Amino acid sequence: MRASGTSCVFPTVRGSVASVQLEDVTFRYPGATADTLQTLSLVVGNGTTHALLGGSGAGKTTVLNLLSGLLQPTGGRILMDGHDIGGLPAARRNVTQVFQFPVLYPAMTVLENLCFPLRNRKWKPAAARERALAMAEELDVSPLLDRRPSTLTLFERQLVAIGRALVRPDVGLVLLDEPLTAVQPELKWRLRRALRRVQRDLGVTMVYVTHDQTEALTFAERVSVMHDGRILQTASPVDVHDEPAHEFVGYFIGSPGMNLLEARVESGMVYVAGTRVGGTVLADGDYRMGFRAQWAAVADAGLPASVRGVRYDGVVDDSPVGVLRATVADKEVYVRHAGLAPDGPMHLRVNRFILFREGWRAN
Amino acid sequence: MRTKPERQAAWLMVLPVVLVVAFSGVVPLMTVVNYSVQDILDVDTRFFVGFDWYRDALRDVRLHEALWRQLVFSFTALAIELPLGILVARCLPRQGRAASLLLVLCAIPLLVPLNVVGTIWQIFARGDIGMLGAAINGLGIDYNYTREPLHAWMTLVAMDVWHWTSLVVLLGFAGLSSIPPAYYQAADLDGAGRWQVFRHVELPHLRAVLLIAVLLRLMDSLMIYTEPFVLTGGGPGNTTTFLSQHLATIAVGQFDLGPAAAFSVIYFLLILLLCWLFHTLVVAGAERDDA
Repeated sequence: MRASGTSCVFPTVRGSVASVQLEDVTFRYPGATADTLQTLSLVVGNGTTHALLGGSGAGKTTVLNLLSGLLQPTGGRILMDGHDIGGLPAARRNVTQVFQFPVLYPAMTVLENLCFPLRNRKWKPAAARERALAMAEELDVSPLLDRRPSTLTLFERQLVAIGRALVRPDVGLVLLDEPLTAVQPELKWRLRRALRRVQRDLGVTMVYVTHDQTEALTFAERVSVMHDGRILQTASPVDVHDEPAHEFVGYFIGSPGMNLLEARVESGMVYVAGTRVGGTVLADGDYRMGFRAQWAAVADAGLPASVRGVRYDGVVDDSPVGVLRATVADKEVYVRHAGLAPDGPMHLRVNRFILFREGWRAN
Repeated sequence: MRTKPERQAAWLMVLPVVLVVAFSGVVPLMTVVNYSVQDILDVDTRFFVGFDWYRDALRDVRLHEALWRQLVFSFTALAIELPLGILVARCLPRQGRAASLLLVLCAIPLLVPLNVVGTIWQIFARGDIGMLGAAINGLGIDYNYTREPLHAWMTLVAMDVWHWTSLVVLLGFAGLSSIPPAYYQAADLDGAGRWQVFRHVELPHLRAVLLIAVLLRLMDSLMIYTEPFVLTGGGPGNTTTFLSQHLATIAVGQFDLGPAAAFSVIYFLLILLLCWLFHTLVVAGAERDDA
């Protein structure tokens, strides 16, 4: 078993760290008619874990490629520790990447794979070997050092690939492109834990791209939700869930996603389909009201709703617990519910809600 | 575990294949084996001579020379075509219209019938009217492939390279196309140079197709007949007479069926041996590396 906790477990393996900043970065693929990324700004702090979360086509991988130097921004600046790295080729940035599937050099042993980035930077064989051995120890792959990649499981290969990405002590930024995709579901959490541990021990900055909100919210200290080439919100996992800055964030994050209903504000009161649901300081007009399943409850009075179905998740105190599916003003909503589903027409009390205007949060 | 019931009748299903293989492969081969142990004077007059023809063939100096020439030719062709094919495949664009067009252009020599290839080069290399031959002579080099053995050899090798490098290009292109871009990206981030990308990323991924390319080219060039027959006719003298042409001279030219049959069997076993050696040394070795 490895000693746990403190960051000085492997003082020799400690990497350098870097903060990363994107300033109004725009990107358009050559020949394309629209920008893939639109004036994107992002700050990733020194030694932190940052997740880019979004559906396919949101521009996550493009951001990653801009950071690694595979693509160059059409406009704006990319700063690393305050220095503009815009024009630098990939090899001269202190950036490495872990890919969706394990990328290893097939003809080399695990040890040779780990030494490769160091040897390319003119390390002496003995020093490279020492560093590689320490990295293998850190990732618990020491027994595999003489094996070839083709004899390893996908999980072991991805561990080695992470090791190769992190072996250079001058690496400040590690990019992870959906690194758990190739691994069997039951091993995903082990790999994620290994990643977290290495990140803590080495203190490197990590940017983690994923479409899986569970991965993003459990891995990263800060999460940027991307949609359509823009970052809609950058916040802590809790805030992204509880305080969405945009309708899409509310709907995309959480299971089930945030309920959204058309609402109207008239002299400080919020109405949904003619029923008053609460008060606000916002100006009069049309809004969209969002509330999470756990922010509403079945009540004697409130929003009239009709039950469509119920999904039971388990039993608490001899009472079934689940999610109620109902319709309010012909829109489907989900509400956390304990006990058996009520029959026929009922009412919902919304305890907390967020108002959005033109997509963005208004209150 | 319950075993499945055996139905002997299923063997009947295999019968057509067995018959086809027997009539197309086994029967002709056995006929040759039968010829090789007899001295055949005419249809009714034949004597059993045992392994005499084999003994003669193995002692035949002209056969030794043909074998030696054959090996030199095959390995020279392979040594040029393999690296050249990989080089060309690397230079081709990976996708787009240009890639398709260049691939089709590359494949053209493969579509030309063997005797036409020989004829093209026979004229192309002529010192008086051939474009290549006349051009070389025009440079002041006295080039004549019908008179100088070295010139004949160079012309033959050039023809084989022209004809078959495309095969290696196509196989190599297929192999290179199958490498995910992430490998190049990773090598770039790891600070690998161009040679290292080739050595550690491309070559390992090309191994399977290159083994096939070597096997195909080796077997094919060991059996080469038509092109040298048309281009040089084995000359000047016997300097470009390879195994198959030597065999044809004995069998069809002199109608010595017994010695020709013995030689055929030896020839067949030789190719089998080379392929077996290649398989055990290279292919099995590669598989052992993986295990």
